[in-house]
Amino acid sequence: MPAAKIASADLQQLLARVALGDRVAFRRLYDATASSLFGVALRIVRQRDRAEEVLQDAFINAWNRAAGYQAALSQPMTWLTAIVRNRALDELRSGARHSAESLDDRESGAAPEIEDERANPLGLLEQAADALAIRDCLDAIDGPQRQCLALVYYHGLSHSEVAGHIGSPIGSVKVWLRRGLDKLKRCLERLA
Amino acid sequence: MNYDRPELLDRLAAEYVFGMMSARVRRRFQAIQRALPAAQHAVQAWEQRLTPLARSVPPERPSAAAWEAIDHRTGGQASRPVAPASAWLAWLKPVLGVAFGVVATLGLVRLYPTAMVPVDEIVQARGTLPASYVGLLTDAANNPVVLASSTRHGRTMSIKMLRKVDVPPGKVLQLWALPKEGAAFPLGVVPFEGKGSFQMADTSEKLLSSVPRLAISVENAPARAGAAPAPYLLTGNCVKLW
Repeated sequence: MPAAKIASADLQQLLARVALGDRVAFRRLYDATASSLFGVALRIVRQRDRAEEVLQDAFINAWNRAAGYQAALSQPMTWLTAIVRNRALDELRSGARHSAESLDDRESGAAPEIEDERANPLGLLEQAADALAIRDCLDAIDGPQRQCLALVYYHGLSHSEVAGHIGSPIGSVKVWLRRGLDKLKRCLERLA
Repeated sequence: MNYDRPELLDRLAAEYVFGMMSARVRRRFQAIQRALPAAQHAVQAWEQRLTPLARSVPPERPSAAAWEAIDHRTGGQASRPVAPASAWLAWLKPVLGVAFGVVATLGLVRLYPTAMVPVDEIVQARGTLPASYVGLLTDAANNPVVLASSTRHGRTMSIKMLRKVDVPPGKVLQLWALPKEGAAFPLGVVPFEGKGSFQMADTSEKLLSSVPRLAISVENAPARAGAAPAPYLLTGNCVKLW
């Protein structure tokens, strides 16, 4: 059952049962969400084996922390996505063995593990905007700011990596990101 | 920095959730979140705002091995995640568990007879040892230093420091579980000497059923889930006492 087809309320029920140690519910939660979450992890760490490690750690974390999940505070997918993204970002940042890997290497044959044509992060941000009907709002964010935001959010690039990737000074990148975030916040708050 | 300023926390939270921070800054902000509920709330608010963006990422199917590893690491029957025919395993498992527990306990008692006394004292009134997880951590010279014990279905980890550990001011002694597979995860903070206890995130059975080893490191602050441990100061076996 893909995540898109399962309602948030159903995921909440599953999480409540997982909190009680229900392994059948845990498996159903995994089946319902693993593909979406694996996509998020893979986009950030860029290698299937590392992304699977991230996914495993995240679900073990979810199993151990399910009793602390508070439905009133966050949607189940928000909670799970945050666990996966945090674990993926920690993995990406701590990866000394991968630190020498440049973005160019990632995008050449070195890591052909994302074959989807929609891998382009700006494209993903724009798709998200379309899906969420915040297109006008996104259009208000300047091109470079938008590009920086997309590289950071979907690929987990740091300030200096973004600067290297788009060939701009790190100072400019920081300013763009900050302004972009401010505008995005206003956008997304309108949604809420 | 003055973390009382909501706009500063909000900006840091945005940068954290968006993924802009370097490893060092991330770790620092994670420590701030542990100490400061306002920072935690700011992070939660940004997670809430940004999750819709993750929905545009195309799903990717992980390999079957991913679930098997998760199932195994959370104490399930990895090779038969949904097979109803595994009923025979259901009764075989406790039998094997008891056999393993007896062997491990005998080994532990023989190796460290004095160290077992505290557990015995705790349960003397009952006349029998309760089903528990017990860990004995030793230093590099193999001296027993920490006795950690928790009943099988309880969440309280009791700690007895068999000798004092000298820790620099401002640091903590962090207890880690080292599962058979996968990364170490934090259990809680132990005292430098004497006795203590802490509440774990879940029951021993859930957290420790596939954890053969425990370790203690010196950390700047209590470790969060997902954090990487500093070098271990003490290590030892974790056994099932039933």
